[in-house]
Amino acid sequence: MRQSYKIAIIFLIVMGFFPLFSNSAWLAVGTTFLIYAIVAFSQDIILGRAGAFQMGHALFFGLGAYTTAILNVHYGVPIIYTFIPAIIIPLFIGIALAGPIIHLKGDYLLVATIGFNIIFIQVIQNDIFGLTGGPNGIFGIDVVRIFGVEFMSQRAIYYMSFTLLALTLLIMRNLDGSKYGRAMFYINKDDIAAQSMGINVRYYKLYAFALGSAIAGAAGSMFAIQYSAVSPEAFNVIQSIMFFTIVLVGGSASLPGVLIGTFVMFVLPEIFREFQTARYLVFGLAMILTMILRPRGVWPVKFGNIPNYLKKKDTK
Amino acid sequence: MSDFLLEIKNVSKFFHGLVAIDDLSMKVKKGQIYGIIGPNGAGKTTLFNCITGLYKPEKGDIMWEGKRINGIAPYKIAELGILRTFQTIRLFSEMSVAENIMSGRHIKSNQRWYNGIIHTPSMIKDEKKNWLKVGELMDFFELRKYATTPAGDLSYGLQRRIEMARALAAEPKLLILDEPAAGLNENETIKLAQTIREVRDQGVTILMIEHDMDMVMSLCEYITVINFGAKISEGEPSFVQDDPVVVEAYIGSDEDE
Ligand SMILES: Nc1ncnc2c1ncn2[C@@H]1O[C@H](COP(=O)(O)OP(=O)(O)OP(=O)(O)O)[C@@H](O)[C@H]1O
Ligand SMILES: [Mg+2]
Repeated sequence: MRQSYKIAIIFLIVMGFFPLFSNSAWLAVGTTFLIYAIVAFSQDIILGRAGAFQMGHALFFGLGAYTTAILNVHYGVPIIYTFIPAIIIPLFIGIALAGPIIHLKGDYLLVATIGFNIIFIQVIQNDIFGLTGGPNGIFGIDVVRIFGVEFMSQRAIYYMSFTLLALTLLIMRNLDGSKYGRAMFYINKDDIAAQSMGINVRYYKLYAFALGSAIAGAAGSMFAIQYSAVSPEAFNVIQSIMFFTIVLVGGSASLPGVLIGTFVMFVLPEIFREFQTARYLVFGLAMILTMILRPRGVWPVKFGNIPNYLKKKDTK
Repeated sequence: MSDFLLEIKNVSKFFHGLVAIDDLSMKVKKGQIYGIIGPNGAGKTTLFNCITGLYKPEKGDIMWEGKRINGIAPYKIAELGILRTFQTIRLFSEMSVAENIMSGRHIKSNQRWYNGIIHTPSMIKDEKKNWLKVGELMDFFELRKYATTPAGDLSYGLQRRIEMARALAAEPKLLILDEPAAGLNENETIKLAQTIREVRDQGVTILMIEHDMDMVMSLCEYITVINFGAKISEGEPSFVQDDPVVVEAYIGSDEDE
């Protein structure tokens, strides 16, 4: 994992300079990459780290997006103030939804989370509270304004997404270097052993859900800002399946793996428009082949990220 | 209460009407090396699972330092200071040896919920303290050179050592070992016996299941013999060894030793 720090730094440097060499069309593609990478990483906290088979993650991405859209369009709340609720609401809904099903194993949890996602789409499509705009969604979302300064250029939106991704990576690094992140891995690898070592499985799984949902919500808010519109199909089960498979195909808990997965799934289709229609075909094939040939992902995570002072006395 | 750390009082455990543990009682003194023996399928592992909270016994009481603990979640049992190893080794096999042992430090670490997101100076200190403890245990169990090796890649004997190191990392009061010598060669077994003695001398009470009779008889100070879930004999090794009931049980069940 030490190696993944280096990859993260290189990635951030490259992405940091990317706008200097690109036009606004390319910036839009770059922004898409950044936002979807954040969602994929947040899925990775739940699936790759805690090992919970969550296949409804687009729900939390959507909750963040709709929170920003509704607060701004219907209530006139300035965008920057919608940011906090777009994190807090998915966080608490994540805990509330996961709470009753967190004890479910693998496939059972997966089906239950798909169920939540389907219900979410039904609710927003049917415009139940008259707030979500039905199948068309909500448009006319304002631009970000801080002290009267408008941040509406594609470049400004790009750098906001970039900052959010950098923060996400920082959080993931901190998570991995804490008792919380390790507990998730222990539970993932052997929950009986983890419990016997004093780890409260339920608590740490919910922690993963809360954190993952909150980050996905933040990404959703960015998404709403980028497109100045939200609509249901961006958050349906197919999207959840994408986030899920990005993690498994790229490599659970693997930073380069998740980046590669996101790039192939969400960026390549933007670059090659003709690839767009074929993307499910290609990714479908990639999924099948990866699971057969590299069941731990294209770029599997490497454990053994321990402090150097433990490695020193190596000589025995 | 008394000088008994752990008391099993008339405990019974059933699986679909089958009696796995039958009205079993025993008492473990602080500082003892306590052995449990019995033929295959006698219910020994089931008893350990009841003590560590993985199973809930239908009848009886499990008393820890005078308090009833049956039905308590496994993670809370560990927090009480009861740590175990498994007959079928259960390591986090893709993770490194050091990370495996670090899991034992979980209950000793005082990190707060926000430390999973933000590191604070006190958290960094806590982290370092715990890794250093892992380092000590790797030295004690001669595992240092495998620090970054995935636990699952190592030999059976090493894996059993990692499991023990992991349990000891939690600084238990009671260490429960389920067949620690299974799969070890003679030298490894002798070394294991020494290690167990050293651990006890550091103040840890030991409760162990073991089929290796030489080891049990030389190491344990008190032994309970179980057959078909029920206690058939107990006492010091010299007594148990010659107890006709025990001899009968082992011959009757075609036990290898
Ligand atoms: N989860 C379970 N469900 C049903 N039956 C079980 C379960 N666990 C154990 N048993 C049964 O309980 C009995 C006791 O098993 P246990 O594993 O405790 O024996 P043991 O004394 O540890 O044997 P060994 O020396 O082979 O490890 C056996 O008949 C076993 O099949
Ligand atoms: Mg057993």
